[in-house]
Amino acid sequence: MATVFAAYAWLVPVLPLAAFALLTAFGRSLRTTGAWVAITASLGSLVLALLIAGERLAGAEDYSQSFDWLVFGTATLSIGIDVTNLTTLMMVIVTVVGFLVNVYSYGYMRDDERMTVFYAYVSLFLASMLGLVLADNLLMLYIFWELVGVCSFLLIGFWYYKPEARDAAKKAFIVTRVGDLGLLIAVLLLFWYMPGHALDFSSINNVFGNDGGTISAGVTTLIALLIFLGAVGKSGQFPLHVWLPDAMEGPTPISALIHAATMVAAGVFLVARTFVIFEASPAAMATVAAIGAFTAIFAATIALAQNDIKRVLAYSTVSQLGYMMLGLGVGSIVAGMFHLFTHAFFKALLFLAAGSVIHAVHTQDIREMGGLAGRMKTTAWTFGIGALALAGIPPLAGFWSKDAILAAALEQNPLLFVVGAVTAFLTALYMSRLFYMVFAGKPKDGSHAHESPAVMTVPLVVLAVLSVIAGFVETPWYGWFGEWLTGESAHHAGYLAMIVATAAGLLGLYLGWLIWQKGTIDGKALAARMPGLVRVLERKYYIDEFYDLVFVRSLRRLGHALRRFDAVVVDGVVWLAAATAQAVGRLNTRMQSGQLQGYLLAALFSVVILVLAVAGRRLW
Amino acid sequence: MTLLGSYLTLAAVLFCLGLYGVLTKRNAIVVLLSLELMLNAVNLNLVAFAKYGMIPSLTGHIFTLFTISVAAAEAAVGVAILIVFYRRRVTVNVDEFDELRR
Amino acid sequence: MFGLNLDVTGELAAFFILAVCAITGAVMALNLTRVIHSVLSLAFTFISLAGLYVLLGAEFAAFVQVLVYVGAVTILMIFGIMMTRHDHDSQERPRPFMEALAGIGCLALFGILFFNIRGTDFPAPSGTLPEDNVGELGRLIFSGFAIPFELMSVLLTVAFVGAVMLARREEDDLP
Repeated sequence: MATVFAAYAWLVPVLPLAAFALLTAFGRSLRTTGAWVAITASLGSLVLALLIAGERLAGAEDYSQSFDWLVFGTATLSIGIDVTNLTTLMMVIVTVVGFLVNVYSYGYMRDDERMTVFYAYVSLFLASMLGLVLADNLLMLYIFWELVGVCSFLLIGFWYYKPEARDAAKKAFIVTRVGDLGLLIAVLLLFWYMPGHALDFSSINNVFGNDGGTISAGVTTLIALLIFLGAVGKSGQFPLHVWLPDAMEGPTPISALIHAATMVAAGVFLVARTFVIFEASPAAMATVAAIGAFTAIFAATIALAQNDIKRVLAYSTVSQLGYMMLGLGVGSIVAGMFHLFTHAFFKALLFLAAGSVIHAVHTQDIREMGGLAGRMKTTAWTFGIGALALAGIPPLAGFWSKDAILAAALEQNPLLFVVGAVTAFLTALYMSRLFYMVFAGKPKDGSHAHESPAVMTVPLVVLAVLSVIAGFVETPWYGWFGEWLTGESAHHAGYLAMIVATAAGLLGLYLGWLIWQKGTIDGKALAARMPGLVRVLERKYYIDEFYDLVFVRSLRRLGHALRRFDAVVVDGVVWLAAATAQAVGRLNTRMQSGQLQGYLLAALFSVVILVLAVAGRRLW
Repeated sequence: MTLLGSYLTLAAVLFCLGLYGVLTKRNAIVVLLSLELMLNAVNLNLVAFAKYGMIPSLTGHIFTLFTISVAAAEAAVGVAILIVFYRRRVTVNVDEFDELRR
Repeated sequence: MFGLNLDVTGELAAFFILAVCAITGAVMALNLTRVIHSVLSLAFTFISLAGLYVLLGAEFAAFVQVLVYVGAVTILMIFGIMMTRHDHDSQERPRPFMEALAGIGCLALFGILFFNIRGTDFPAPSGTLPEDNVGELGRLIFSGFAIPFELMSVLLTVAFVGAVMLARREEDDLP
């Protein structure tokens, strides 16, 4: 089938970019119109992405176009787009979630003065994420990667008058920068080692698909690990996960956008996109799997002890991203991307529902909530669906994708499988805790919670439906998704994995029900019996404190030293230069007395000196 | 050996005296006078060369006449400027001619 | 005398006397405190210079010198003095630094000039000026130098008009 719409794929990122430009240029005078501009642009991207996806489902060939951007010597840097099944999938995820977030924000941000600014940022965010997805070479991907980072900085710090938001924005920017540096070095290394300095993905696939080609195993591992470092930063994997929960300071739709579709997905997508490099290096694969598994269980335990609704979800995201990495690390690109796909829907759903709750009760502390189910039916229902999907209860989307990962892990390494299963149990446990504490129980007095407007609930319903059905594209008996994505069916009907996953999920839910709903097990007494553990979990394993002690303080000390150096030496030199100039200037001012005779005298001496100099040469 | 060297030396003396006057005198009229003295020194050179130069010629005399005319014009304009200035500032002191600084 | 191998001719004696007069006049002009005295002593210098012109065979130049310098310029200066006020008492807070510098500069310049005059070997004149100096001069002015001569008249007119325009007392200037 011909590629009709794919040729217009470049429009997908350009539409939100145009919206950004429009909003930035005319934002002040637009207000609600500006929101509609952004929504329309994202709708346009969505429609186009869906059309391209439809075309690809019908079996269109891969499409790519590029033009040279910079030619120096033998090397050429190009800008181009690549429409493959992988990029199309990401494009659809990003545009769907992006569009829904745009619509939802119309309700959520209605009262904010800087709504058009918000929409401008969101549009730029979408544009850069889509550019990242479509990029046909690593350098272009890196550029958009950084743009995504900038946008996340702007959006997390959107309410810049809140010091926490400012700090969170800075933290997100700085922590991800560590990862970005790794990616940059990886790009440079690739540029150095690749034959012909090619950075486009097809060349990379050719070279590394061919057993590394001319590139030695050590360098391959190094490049893979550095790329993974970038992914660790962006996708919030341990040990660079610390920015993600803090990023909750941004407006809630942004949390949904960052956590479901754009920023964090970028890391997973990057690993998937450069998967050949990882495949060429077993050590890198093992690292990815280990880090992923550790992050999954690590973040899940933290999520258990958090009391902020958005933080619980944030750590849940970190945990689920660990899952995706685990899936990729055990060699199943299908499992990882499948989980990314389903997770995008139910995590966006959960965040938007949480936003709806926060919008209604004006607090984020789940201890102050309760009994909201009666007042906010739609929100409660959709949140419940999202929670069940996340907990991996069949037949919701999360179950299928989680099962795919667990099955892949079981084949590779039983230990990873066990970690994954425990994580699934923990996930179900904290989600039930969250659900019961927020929606069940008695309403807290004095709360005037009411359902959010339709513009906010409709995206919730849409996402809930997607969370239910999205999993059926890939089941153990029907591997269509995997075939479409990679050309091979990844699913090996592992009933053991399926049973264990279901059991873990159900067990978690049951335990949660016992503790927080029925009260059979006294959660407080349980916590009181092991205060140390609870405190450690509440403080998130003291990671932040550790970083503060090791990096922040020492860096700050270095900064102070540098500032002193700057103040004394650099400023001193500058001051000296200024003082010299000033002294010369003052001297010249005194010479510029306006006295003709003074000027004449100077002229006379000049003539005498000139004559002596010219004539003197002849004499001596 | 002619008197040419002596004439030139005399002209140099007068020129330097005039220059000294221009540089040091405060009274604007004296400065103008010193300028005239310098011009005269030049004239003396011209006339001396007209007689004792390698090719004696009347061109030097003509140049002298022109110079005298220019000097006369210059003196007239100079005194006019001086008077205008005096009306503005009520002084002929060159020290206070510092318009260039403003 | 002075190591110069010169016959004491009438010309030399006349030159010497006139030179001394000219220098004396110039020095006096610089040293006298009253402006009017300076002007008069400088007029003396101008007359001495006219004498030197005669000595050099430039009778017409000498005539013009007396007419223009002694007659016109000096009188102009005297008018200038009369139209401005000169209070001698308040005058001259000395500027020794400035004067010393000017003196050094002028002496240096003179040194250079003197050194060069003495060091130059002037070739002997290859002829003499025509006897009828003035007549020849008139012919030259109205033939070869006609255009510069006319230009000079334009210049003088312009200077004349300019001086009048400048010095005219404008209504605005009246206190």
